[in-house]
Amino acid sequence: MAQPILVVIEHGARGINPASWEVITAGQALGEALGLPVEAVVLEGVEADTVCSQVATRQLAGVRHAVHSGLVPYTPETQVQALVQVITAAAPVYVLFPHTYQARDYVPQLATRMARGLISDATGFRVESGRVVLTRQMFQGKLAADVVFAGETPHFVSFQIGAFRGDKAVLTTAPAPIEKVSVAPSPPLLQPGEPFQEAKQAVDLSKADLIVSVGRGIKEPKNLDLVRELAQVLGAELAASRPICDSGWLPMDRQIGSSGQTVSPKLYLAVGISGAIQHLVGMKGARTIVAINKDPEAPIFEVADYGVVGNLFEVVPALIEEIKKRKG
Amino acid sequence: MKILVCLKQVPAKDAPIKVAAGEMWIREDVTYEVNEPDAYALEEALRQKEAHGGEVVALTVGPARAAQVLREALAKGADRAVHVEGEAAAQLDCFATAEAIARAIPGEHFDLIFTGLQSDDYGFAQVGVVLAELLGLPHATIIMHLEPTATGIRVKRELEGGYFQNVDLPTPAVLTIQSGISKLRYATLMGIKAAKSKPLTRHSLEEMGVTPRLNRQTITRLYVPARSKKTEMLTGTAKEVAAQLVEHLKNDARVL
Amino acid sequence: MRPFPGIEPPAVDHPVMEADVVIVGAGPAGLACALRLTQLIAAAGAASPLQPDQIVVLEKGREIGAHLLSGAVLDPRALRELLPDFPADAPLEVPVVDEAAFLFTERRAWKFPFTPAPLRNHGNYVVSLNRLMRWLGAKVEAAGVTVFTSVAGTALLMEGEQVQGVRTDDKGVDREGKAQSNFEPGYDLKSKMVVLAEGPRGSLTKQLSLGLGLAGENSQVYALGVKEIWEVPEGRFPAGRVYHTMGWPLPLTMYGGGWIYGLSARQVSLGLVTGLEYHDPRTDPHHLFQQFKTHPFVREVLTGGEMLRYGAKTIPMGGWFAMPPASGAGWLMVGDAGGFLNSQRLKGIHLAMKSGMLAAETIFAALQAGQPARPADYTQRIAASWIRAEMWKVRNFHQGFAGGLIPGLLHGALQQLSGGRGLWTRYGAEEGHARLVQLAHLGPGPKYPKPDGQLSFDKVADVYHSGTRHVEDQPSHLHVADLDICQDRCRREYGNPCQHFCPAQVYEMVEGEDGRPRLQVNASNCVHCKTCDIMDPYGIITWVPPEGGGGPNYDGM
Repeated sequence: MAQPILVVIEHGARGINPASWEVITAGQALGEALGLPVEAVVLEGVEADTVCSQVATRQLAGVRHAVHSGLVPYTPETQVQALVQVITAAAPVYVLFPHTYQARDYVPQLATRMARGLISDATGFRVESGRVVLTRQMFQGKLAADVVFAGETPHFVSFQIGAFRGDKAVLTTAPAPIEKVSVAPSPPLLQPGEPFQEAKQAVDLSKADLIVSVGRGIKEPKNLDLVRELAQVLGAELAASRPICDSGWLPMDRQIGSSGQTVSPKLYLAVGISGAIQHLVGMKGARTIVAINKDPEAPIFEVADYGVVGNLFEVVPALIEEIKKRKG
Repeated sequence: MKILVCLKQVPAKDAPIKVAAGEMWIREDVTYEVNEPDAYALEEALRQKEAHGGEVVALTVGPARAAQVLREALAKGADRAVHVEGEAAAQLDCFATAEAIARAIPGEHFDLIFTGLQSDDYGFAQVGVVLAELLGLPHATIIMHLEPTATGIRVKRELEGGYFQNVDLPTPAVLTIQSGISKLRYATLMGIKAAKSKPLTRHSLEEMGVTPRLNRQTITRLYVPARSKKTEMLTGTAKEVAAQLVEHLKNDARVL
Repeated sequence: MRPFPGIEPPAVDHPVMEADVVIVGAGPAGLACALRLTQLIAAAGAASPLQPDQIVVLEKGREIGAHLLSGAVLDPRALRELLPDFPADAPLEVPVVDEAAFLFTERRAWKFPFTPAPLRNHGNYVVSLNRLMRWLGAKVEAAGVTVFTSVAGTALLMEGEQVQGVRTDDKGVDREGKAQSNFEPGYDLKSKMVVLAEGPRGSLTKQLSLGLGLAGENSQVYALGVKEIWEVPEGRFPAGRVYHTMGWPLPLTMYGGGWIYGLSARQVSLGLVTGLEYHDPRTDPHHLFQQFKTHPFVREVLTGGEMLRYGAKTIPMGGWFAMPPASGAGWLMVGDAGGFLNSQRLKGIHLAMKSGMLAAETIFAALQAGQPARPADYTQRIAASWIRAEMWKVRNFHQGFAGGLIPGLLHGALQQLSGGRGLWTRYGAEEGHARLVQLAHLGPGPKYPKPDGQLSFDKVADVYHSGTRHVEDQPSHLHVADLDICQDRCRREYGNPCQHFCPAQVYEMVEGEDGRPRLQVNASNCVHCKTCDIMDPYGIITWVPPEGGGGPNYDGM
């Protein structure tokens, strides 16, 4: 039996972390490139059986369900011990994770315990002369690096959220076999409490998926209401270029750019922003950039995926209308 | 409490980063500063010392120029500094770096070891957790807040989606500290002056046997990411443009 | 002496620190002063009245050199006196090997058949002032002097007319002037002697000059140098080549000129100096420099290259007669702050260093004698040194250009023949901004081409390449005493020239909420050149240091 690629599924009280589907996509692609089977690993947790069935609808060689009551709640120590046992039994070539907060908490420990390396926050891979080369961003996205493993398998990789598309994971009509595996972690030293939320404090734009950002083109603070409405119908956070914050029209924690925050949301909609380099460095990593500006030579258009040269006071209301219509 | 803070010197955030000939690393003619997350780790350590007494030791693994971050740490109030020095420091991966730290501190019994969440240059976010494993210590990551308890410490961890969690763990332990949790203090003139006479111990990477041969991963090429974007300009009346845009947002960008 | 009016700082007690000598500014003058003191201390051995740890240098930049910018071609004379072994040790790798002067017209470059004597640079070096001072600064620190970086001097501590020390900047003050949780009050550094080494138009120097009524016989006049460093294909412009240009894009009525220096096999330093005494308030020195780069001669050097860094700084051009009294009770002025610059040779670094060394000798002698230094001690040393010999010969040089390039060259030639005198004993000079002509008397303004983003850049893009960074949440460090003037009088009379003369787009007239124009100050862009303090027509702008550590990062400049 060929050594597999293992994909570790992250799940918790709020169900499967969507990033797990992305890693399955990555695993399937890697498996195809190397001609290796792909299996998923689900550690015991809330409604783990349901999780396993859902995972099994993806085209995989199997799902390993590691069972032990000590795995709930999550602590890095118990996760690591359980996975050491699963990995030792499976003898995989690659073990893949999504680069989530939780993965950052335990995967480096897992790799080190197994005397292996972890390439974290990878954005993609390619196979060159039989060798897998992973790509990563460095220097906060200013440069990219090709990275390879030195040493023996298994190799551990965590993929950046959004680097692969979860909806592109190949489904199957014949569900993958689910195998229950017994693990025996010892009681952890950590005692975690229940997760809780807090009253919203300072806005952290770096966590926003959708951002509508406004610049000098807005002319006056009272016009901000228009952009606020756009943000609202989109379900986006409101941000701004520096002149808007300097003038006090929006608080400084809304500022994007070299002297504000750096963000890489799924959508960055720049309204009336010219795109001075100080601003661009704060947002050009966004997945999709839309720019609305009346100046056809505004530098923002160089980084935009979609550009509209027009009067924002006409385009934005039309956009709000259309979005409302589509969202129903 | 005796706290070790691991600091890294990285190229300044606004420095123009250029790939060096050979495409394996960057040109070194940039200005350097302390890795911002590490500055928050240091701030937290100094606050703990102010609140509960003890000692703060600053450590860095880096070439000679990295001593700058240690002097700044001493100026802000750290008591001692350790420089694990070597020109090869920039080529060490997270595992080798953690190994270097582990080998520099045997015999010292720290109650807590802090690192920043990740470094602004590599961004692996691993050293703290690898170090905990090498030292056989419990750890917790993305820490927002910490207070001592009868059995050790209670920390507040940040989770995804705006959630938080309190965790109790025994000391000694390793914590990776989240950025932006406090206002960073300024070094005073007195602090800068006093820093000159605080102890700074040097260890040599080579003498400790830590070289890039310990790396478990290698960078084979460093390059400017290719611009894969082609801008699509949408034309027409405002209504037409809005309709086109929403189509794209729904079907291509998939954000609606 | 209080800091200038603006937002009132938090009222707190300031901790006190004592140091025998406080040097404000870690530039060539300040560092040469500090190093010379340590040499005198070493020579005196056990009998020294001063110790290195009693010398303090304040530097507002994040590190030594961060705010230092110059062309530059160094006359190593002073450095040789300070450190006789310098070539072995110093970052002086590029001797001048080739030089020429050109007259530019819009399309052509006419090479002078011979290089005018003042522009001859054989025996000199092409240097990065930033790198040179980092090297010198390391020596100063190794000798035991404390250099406080990211610390600005905001006010002089005075008792009557005597300077007794310097107050440093408060840290952690928000936009409204309130102390934040990490607030640290500035220190009152009490000292026996304060050496003002702040560079051109220093803020403490200005405070002192206004307070004590210090001035030269002539008003000090300035020029603004705008510079970029480019990386170009090898062979394009060899290291050690020194070219100077006159003429286009500067009209014949304006003083100034350009330079291109080969810094290394692949890097060139180039820039344009514009005298800050022009008539048309719409003149824009930054745009003039961008235009300069489009001249076919310059374009050929730069094509295919990449701009690495940008910066701007003013230069005191007034010469000997514009130098204020350089010493008083408890204070000395050195370097550009005191006007120690040879405008004919376009060189000041060697004069700055020599003045710093003489200041050190003055201070040390006084400490040895156990007496406060007499102001005359310093002036006598200067008069007896080659500083005077050199500057006296060019005492009327810059003023000769008051009528434009041609008269300037004619006067200059006459002065060469008469040991510097020319037609009159002292050519007068008025403050640069006094020569601004109101818009009503002028025709259409200059037309500058739009930057193309490859060869030429707009101010905001250039500021990005200056590495300028400031803590955002702090009071604006540019104090405009009367905003009504900006909205009404200045707009009518001069068209708000601050929008044009500032090379960093700090000042912008925008439409206010009531439809009336208002002045927007983007303090964060400021590259600390001081042009606004010098050139505003009503003298209502005062530049004070922002929170220490903020400002440009002139790495390699």
